[in-house]
Amino acid sequence: MNVEILDPVTLLAGAGGLAMTAGVAMLRKRWLQRGAGGSGLLIAGWLAVVGAFVAFAYAWGAEVGTAYALGALSLVAYAVIASTFERREAKRRALREASAYDPEERPTNWRRGIGKALLAIVLAGVASIGIGVAIAVEAPLPPQDRAVIGGLLVPILWGGGMAWTLCDPRLVRATIILLSVSAIGYGIAFLPKALS
Amino acid sequence: MQDVARKPPRKAPFLSPQFVRAMLAGHSALGIAFAALIYIVCLTGTLTVFMHELKRWEQPDAPVVEGSLSADVATKAVEEAYRKALALNAAHDIFVMGPTSTQQRLLANFHDHGTGIEGHWIGDGTGNLVVEQHAPWAEFITDLHIRLHLPHTWGLFLVGLTGVALLSSLVSGLLSHPRLFKDAFALRWGGSRRLQEADLHNRLGVWGLPFHVVVSTTGALLGLSTLIVGVLALAAYEGDSERAFASILGPMPTKDETAAPLPDVAAMIRDVQAKHGDAEFVSVFIQHIGKAGQVVNLGMKTPGHLAMSNAYYFDGNGKSLGDGGLETGSIGQQILGALQPLHFGWFGGLPVKIAYGLLGLALTIVTQTGITIWLARRRDAGRAAPHWEKVWAAVTWGQPLAFVVAALAIFAGGGSYAVPAYLATTVVSLLAAPVTPDAAVMSRVLRLLAGLLGLSAVIVHGFVWSGRISDPAALWVSGVMAVIALALLASALRPNRARLEALSRGG
Repeated sequence: MNVEILDPVTLLAGAGGLAMTAGVAMLRKRWLQRGAGGSGLLIAGWLAVVGAFVAFAYAWGAEVGTAYALGALSLVAYAVIASTFERREAKRRALREASAYDPEERPTNWRRGIGKALLAIVLAGVASIGIGVAIAVEAPLPPQDRAVIGGLLVPILWGGGMAWTLCDPRLVRATIILLSVSAIGYGIAFLPKALS
Repeated sequence: MQDVARKPPRKAPFLSPQFVRAMLAGHSALGIAFAALIYIVCLTGTLTVFMHELKRWEQPDAPVVEGSLSADVATKAVEEAYRKALALNAAHDIFVMGPTSTQQRLLANFHDHGTGIEGHWIGDGTGNLVVEQHAPWAEFITDLHIRLHLPHTWGLFLVGLTGVALLSSLVSGLLSHPRLFKDAFALRWGGSRRLQEADLHNRLGVWGLPFHVVVSTTGALLGLSTLIVGVLALAAYEGDSERAFASILGPMPTKDETAAPLPDVAAMIRDVQAKHGDAEFVSVFIQHIGKAGQVVNLGMKTPGHLAMSNAYYFDGNGKSLGDGGLETGSIGQQILGALQPLHFGWFGGLPVKIAYGLLGLALTIVTQTGITIWLARRRDAGRAAPHWEKVWAAVTWGQPLAFVVAALAIFAGGGSYAVPAYLATTVVSLLAAPVTPDAAVMSRVLRLLAGLLGLSAVIVHGFVWSGRISDPAALWVSGVMAVIALALLASALRPNRARLEALSRGG
């Protein structure tokens, strides 16, 4: 037997992989039972998933191990779903088709569409960059930290703002809020220097 | 996420139906607006994960170097690169990268900002630079992912905006999915195409969410960094973007152009290793080399960190200017160090790359099925959009076809033919869409062509490099490309089940 296979990293990684697979399999079994109890499986499943994260963290360190565990969770779930997919007959179509939400039907026109696009792409971007730069300039952190954290917040805030403006039917409300946020952000970022 | 199944609720749902429908409307609008861009960026991103392997495929006779470089070999590579740069009057900035778990070559680049002259070389295990790097297809794919072959700043910005749109779609998709847990493992195949694709879209989207969020956020930040730093410079650095970047990226060279000896890179490596015994050489970047204002950015990696390396800064005399803290520094420094490896999956060798490839493919499918669901919903509602169905088929399958046409164009005429061949194939695919009978035919023809030409690319590569392939990675890449091409061919030649069912029903 090859002794290298018994090194701690390999053992922990193998244990983590098994725990992740078992955890996701238990969660699926609990999911199959739906309303018929199975809390034990739910708890055991999540505990096994957490155990896999811990094993990966011990094997490769918390930083790399967590990244590996997150990737493994996705791939194991994909594998479990792919191996247990359900083939449905055509006669069940009608029921399923009748039971789906449809997007809200909204009256729209070109002017409204352009207005929405300007809000979601331009104004949400202006506002999020304003907030990000305000944090990069004024947050009580070392310069590099506040610059990176401020920068990282820009796409997150922009993405959130984009999702919100596109789902909110009231353009005026979104415009006022985004303009206010922009004013606050750029005010914090630029005013102290302008006034000094 | 779309088309969630609905049953009469027993208690008030966490998300009201009105909210879900409004979110779905926003999700659809965003998806429709950015679908093609997100699809191209995701598909090319999946390929870019394997950029180093693609480069090895394109130059399978170049040396492969295993293990980290010794201080002496790294120094020799720097000296060789400097000599080659001097010969071209381009000795300004020099970058040398050793093999890591991510890539197995010794690479040396030089670049002169003033003249634009640059050189890219591959070295052997002794530090000799033996062959110029030539990988136009990998560079074509990577540039398409990073800047869509647009002018640099505009391309980066557009890709960054695409990342924001993807992130926004993930947020709105999650919030329009009230049966997140109830449908957690449901993949119901058969029946309605729309709901089958919705299951696929939702399962791939939800279970891959950590990956999707990470790559879209890091990608958006990398793309938008010039814009963000530009505004930061206006706010805090009198509009000086270089100073703003320096505050984030560490010491920059001074403008003192007085001649100076080359820095002693080997001594710097040993200095770092004296303090961190397990640190291994990854790269060295010397700005304004051979000048009094030169600064050395030495990349050294210790195990257990996501960052490709930590940056150790020295002046030309070997005096330490501190380190970047990318491995064990503050939270901002560690985030900075992890951005690129987390985005491209360049932190754990081939297994992580394969995982990223699969997850990237999943994200590409999520994007593709999003529009398919929207089109199917319109068809179900009696508002079919056959032209858009054909156009989406042209986008979906025209891109893989355009990539392999670009590869064949490079074989035929050289690297400069890649972009025109790609653009021509994309345009012809889109123009052909209206004249094809339906989207299924469009899809089949494009898959058939992509499969045939993909196999041709593998065969041509075999002929071109016959008897000269020394790098086994090239054979693996050819094998994977052949399998993908055969899968495309098989999917194109498979009988159309839906059509057969319709015929058997007398339709």
